Amino acid sequence: MRKKVYLSLCALVFLTLSTIAQTVTVTGKVVDEKSLAVPAATILEKGTKNAVSAGADGSFTIKVKTGAILVISSVGFETQQVKASANLSVKLNPEDVSLAEVVVTGFGQTVKKDVTSSITRIKGAEVANTPVPNFLQGVQGRAAGVFVESQNGKVGEGIKVRIRGASSVSASNSPLYVVDGIPINTASLSGNALADINFNDVESFEILKDAAATAIYGSRGGNGVVLITTKKGKAGKAKFSINLQQGTNNPTNKRGFLNSTEYLQFFREAAENAGRYHFNRGGNWLGFANEAAAVAYMTGVINSRFNRYSGLNTGGADWKADTVNTNWEDLAFQDAKTTIAEVSASGGNDKTKFFISGSYNDQDGILFYNKFKRYAGRVNLEQELSSRLKVGVNLTVSRTEARRVAGDNEFTTPMQIVALAPITPVRNNAGVLFDRPTATYYNPLIETENASYTSTTFRNISTAFAQLNILKGLNFRTEFGLDVLTQNDKEFYGRRTLNGQGTNGLGVSTWLRSVRYTTNNYFNYNTTIKSKHDIDATVGMSFEKLANDQSSVEGQQFANDDLRNIANAATITAGSSSLSELAIASYFGRVNYKFNKKYLLGLSGRFDGSSVFGENKRYGFFPSASIGWIVSEEKFLRENKVIDFLKVRASYGSLGNQQGFGNYAWRGVYGTSRYAGVAGLAPGSLQNDVLTWETTNQFDLGFEIGVLNNRIVFEFDYYHKKSAGDGKGFIYNYPLPLTSGFSTITRNIGEIENKGVEFSINSTNIKTRNFTWNTSFNLSLNKNKVLKIDGQQDTLSFNDGRFMNALIVGKPIGVHYGPIYAGVDPANGDPLYYEQDGKTTTNDYNAAGSFVVGDPNPKWFGGITNTFSYKGFELSVLFQGVFDYEVVNGAGGFMSARGDWFDNQTRDQLQRWKKPGDITNVPEARLNWLGDFQSPGVSTQYMEDASYIRLKQLTFSYNLPNKLLSKLKLGSVRAYVTGVNLFTWTSYTGWDPEVNTDYRASNINQGADFYAAPQIKSVTFGLNIGF
Amino acid sequence: MIMNFNKFCLSIIASSSLLLACNKQLDLPNPQAIGNDLAFSTDANVKQVLVSAYNAVSDGSLYGGDIQIFGDLMASSGELNWTGTFNTYREVFGNSMLTTNPIIRDLWGDGYYAINVANSVIANINKVNAADRNRVKGEALFIRGAILFELTRFYGKAFNDGTPTQNLGVVIRTTPVSGFSDVDFPKRNTVAECYSQVIADLTEAESLLPNKNGVYANKVAAATILARVYLQSGNFSGARDAANRGITAANGNFSLVSTYSSAFNNATYTTEDVFAIVVSDQDGVNNCHTFYSIPQYGGRDGDIVILDGHMNLYPNGDARKALFYSFSGDWRSGKWRDQYRNVKVIRLAELYLIRAECNVRLSQTVGDTPLNDVNRLRTRASAPVLSAVTLADVLLERRLELAHEGFRVHDAKRLNLNVNGRSAFDNRLTFPIPFRELNSNPNLVQNAGYN
Repeated sequence: MRKKVYLSLCALVFLTLSTIAQTVTVTGKVVDEKSLAVPAATILEKGTKNAVSAGADGSFTIKVKTGAILVISSVGFETQQVKASANLSVKLNPEDVSLAEVVVTGFGQTVKKDVTSSITRIKGAEVANTPVPNFLQGVQGRAAGVFVESQNGKVGEGIKVRIRGASSVSASNSPLYVVDGIPINTASLSGNALADINFNDVESFEILKDAAATAIYGSRGGNGVVLITTKKGKAGKAKFSINLQQGTNNPTNKRGFLNSTEYLQFFREAAENAGRYHFNRGGNWLGFANEAAAVAYMTGVINSRFNRYSGLNTGGADWKADTVNTNWEDLAFQDAKTTIAEVSASGGNDKTKFFISGSYNDQDGILFYNKFKRYAGRVNLEQELSSRLKVGVNLTVSRTEARRVAGDNEFTTPMQIVALAPITPVRNNAGVLFDRPTATYYNPLIETENASYTSTTFRNISTAFAQLNILKGLNFRTEFGLDVLTQNDKEFYGRRTLNGQGTNGLGVSTWLRSVRYTTNNYFNYNTTIKSKHDIDATVGMSFEKLANDQSSVEGQQFANDDLRNIANAATITAGSSSLSELAIASYFGRVNYKFNKKYLLGLSGRFDGSSVFGENKRYGFFPSASIGWIVSEEKFLRENKVIDFLKVRASYGSLGNQQGFGNYAWRGVYGTSRYAGVAGLAPGSLQNDVLTWETTNQFDLGFEIGVLNNRIVFEFDYYHKKSAGDGKGFIYNYPLPLTSGFSTITRNIGEIENKGVEFSINSTNIKTRNFTWNTSFNLSLNKNKVLKIDGQQDTLSFNDGRFMNALIVGKPIGVHYGPIYAGVDPANGDPLYYEQDGKTTTNDYNAAGSFVVGDPNPKWFGGITNTFSYKGFELSVLFQGVFDYEVVNGAGGFMSARGDWFDNQTRDQLQRWKKPGDITNVPEARLNWLGDFQSPGVSTQYMEDASYIRLKQLTFSYNLPNKLLSKLKLGSVRAYVTGVNLFTWTSYTGWDPEVNTDYRASNINQGADFYAAPQIKSVTFGLNIGF
Repeated sequence: MIMNFNKFCLSIIASSSLLLACNKQLDLPNPQAIGNDLAFSTDANVKQVLVSAYNAVSDGSLYGGDIQIFGDLMASSGELNWTGTFNTYREVFGNSMLTTNPIIRDLWGDGYYAINVANSVIANINKVNAADRNRVKGEALFIRGAILFELTRFYGKAFNDGTPTQNLGVVIRTTPVSGFSDVDFPKRNTVAECYSQVIADLTEAESLLPNKNGVYANKVAAATILARVYLQSGNFSGARDAANRGITAANGNFSLVSTYSSAFNNATYTTEDVFAIVVSDQDGVNNCHTFYSIPQYGGRDGDIVILDGHMNLYPNGDARKALFYSFSGDWRSGKWRDQYRNVKVIRLAELYLIRAECNVRLSQTVGDTPLNDVNRLRTRASAPVLSAVTLADVLLERRLELAHEGFRVHDAKRLNLNVNGRSAFDNRLTFPIPFRELNSNPNLVQNAGYN
């Protein structure tokens, strides 16, 4: 509520040329229901443009015609009309915020009260000033049914968003993002294209969730739509705002590895055990005379490794003294800071309105070298050319500079540093970073000294529109949008790096130019017939085209490590350029009908044609229908003192999806290959003429109820989304027998469903003169299930030894399907697995059965925000939680592998089996030097429940009181401190339970950890000044 | 009002004409690819498909290195160690393969990809100009035969293990899959059927191919693989004759290079290279380099270490021993030291060894005496020449001359030697049918020991 008041600082001020003789001067004061002054309320003489704005103390003076009616309005309050009289005291009643607010819908807007679909609105102000690069991170935990997950703690990178679960397998499950009416690009070379948007410019996010809300986006609505509306100027005195923020970033957690003493002891034991195993159980093919000889051999092996890893002969130390204890995990992280600065100005007059902003955002990642920097500017301009014609532009330009680190599966990525031995010093006695053979693996710290990987993006999202009022209630609007993303990724790896050492350096430069243009042209008509029939109709067309132009060049043999451009390379070793295009032509329409203010009907639909399908399967029609009943308008409820508002609504519709599986998947083609400098034609894909729109039918039933003067508003939704049959089911790159020469074919192959409920409460718990306490709570349950796969098998299992996500009929998408770990054989320390009968145990991984053992899809998630204000102080606390899902640590076979290889081990490995009779879950320490036994494969041994509750965001702020402000001649001053990801409660023993390792993330590949960085915990201090 | 009505009509006309224009905009072909129908429309296109068959064969999981690496890694027997971090290769080294091992999956998958491309060429051979038709068909048959042979000996039981007419080999494919309707779910053929198919393909390839053919398959190469097949199946006269035909065809076209070390780390074909995978900094991979070499030469960590058990086999002064080099206290194979060098698949030296071995076994001297054939190689390697040769001498010579070029496990199987302390016919010395493949084809049967 308070925020609303601050937002309302904009007021209409018109100069009125008074040509009327009989005027009266009205002075008065605007107060709220508690008789507190309402600053900056607008006082308008009805039927004229004569208006003034009340002062900070609510007082105003206006000259009006005698007997005029004054219209008094202020954001957050119900508008009132009073007859002009010399001395006025106007008491404004607060608006029931959540129900009367205007909600943006596709190609239009409507009052929340009259909405018959499921839309969650998040005000920009709720998310503003969150010190994260991407607005999605700010939205996390704030909207029912919207699941947000950052893949890892790399700054400005991958984020998974699922609105009401996953309906697609090979196609994209990401929602459509629309900025000021124009769909935007989400693809980029690296990083997350949504991080290019400065979300402090955003007025509101509307998340369209059900078919009724999204059908107007037809083919792209299947995964939900996120509408982003940027701020607009308001007529009145120009307002300026400055925001400054500074803070620090840290990892949410460190997991801990063996120290040097433990490492030495553990691996000596592992080596000795390996010798015994070889002699007694491994076939003794090295031909040792006795067990002691085998053990002595392995002791020799381990001592020589200790010599090597401690740098005994390479300028390190002698491990026997155990003087070096390097905590490599700590070295993956850097001291990280955040600096954000921005200014904005807005204002205008009755004909022209503007909003201008500029921002600078500089955030260090927690991982060494990792950094994100963004400069963004925006101009939103609207001009009335005549009483009937209005034009405008929304222009934004941003430049994002990022320093990236390699994918989680690369030896060069910071987190893989944890594999190095604690007995290895960081540098030799000449101060040079140790690399192999002294380091167990490539030392990723070399990347900080001898490599660079920068990504620079220019982004321009622009919209121009014209709106013509043709007749009363009939408008035509045309919009043209252009989203241009130009990105250059420059990589250089010097002579000391893993990638550059054999070739005197390696450089790669990759360019992407992604251009999406969109035109929307539509008519809108609204009218009220006999004050009983409200009709709002929209019909129009849109055309959209996307072209991704990419080129890259790679060079080797650089003059030295300081000259890092391809121009400095002596040999050009690779180069490529390619083009990928997509076009969509659409016709859409919607009718909303309201009868007697209480019966609502909505019909909408879209006819889409897409270039990604073959000629005969190109067009699809996506309709929806919805009904609503505002029960509280009925006589029997109208007098009810408890229930102020009750609406029941239902919708059903059919939506499509056509992206994420490539722009040309239906075509059977030959691409190119080359051999020995000669070009070849290579089979690329099998033709599928019947590939068509993946279609999902969606049902939604919901109600909204406001009680106690609408102080408590509940909203409840039940939904059921299910793939359509008849060859329109989910699209999947279905695995073919490799003997065919092809690995997959893209087909509409199966059916999948999501069922769920969403529940939210917004309540004003306490509201007194000085103290208010508001709570906003949301909780979502989603159950995902694959219903059908047309093909040879009901179980598509992809166990690759590290991960075991599968696609199984009757189970959720991406379930963990693999062996059940049966603990350790007390007799010999072998790991045991259950065979397919579920009872017999075996130490042979190949003989282990496969079982559905876990689900990477969270069943529950939600968030609760409590906001307390006392006088000028405000405390806002958001807890966010995700429940009942499992994460597999694919790196378990390296880092928690009972010393299978020389990787440093997690601390739980200290619980290893030592002697017959020991009961433990960690097998005998055994170095797999001779490959005598199986290295650990994925099983439930490496799977854990990853449910968590997080103190996601805490903001404490202080607003200077009005008295002081008027002395300072400032509109507002707010000082605040914001913490993000401050505390996490979880039983997950890895770095962070919010994880899905980046290099393999897909719709099926979820719930996976693999040296993924923990999330970023940050604390920033900020100052907002408005004048 | 009239004005407005006109505007209204105008905008309707404008937007409907936009709509009509849009439909054409939806025809967007892939700029980087051509339709299936065009790939075989001309002589030039079919020949380009053949190029991609070579590209397929050059993949790291096939002759780009893994086939050669597996041959030695599987049968290390105290002569080498895998010390690298990749447990995919370590499983092969330890004969403890998981059915989910991705490199074992890729050998299978990339093998059948190559076979399918070769089949596509063969099926469209009549589009090729008559003058080139034999050569093109011969090359495609060479690729199909060679890859089927490799798959058979990795995924099937050894020919000399039990009854090859009953033991399961791999799937024989002789027709291309060009559309979804061609995709089927075949059963495994027997080992004997696979060998017959391989022999038929390579025999025909040998008859069709020219003696010399640039960097592509030639008559000598086909004869060599054919000799390998016969040798592997214990047909010594067949192997000897094929080898002898190869040497005859090589005359004037191929010859041993003067020193042993100059036969390796070559950026271009040497005179000794009968068939090699072409690798440059522009194209191609050499997995042998990746895993045998060391960081300073652009390799990985020096994953494969050569042990004294192998080094001690060489006589003093042998140039083949001198080729090894030391890194971090361990011996490394010098054959694969440098980056961006061709991957050897067939060197002429092998033909002399096959001819010598079979002549010894058959007590014949077809082509030349075994002593001459062996001493030819020993002289070049500065090893002491022999005055007489036994079978054991030839086999040892083969082991030294062809060390770390992928022969060891196959030799161990045909000679029924113990490998890593177990029988060469142990289940653990046959690859599992990849887990992924068993899942997608219900008609496949897993190998013993992997269920």
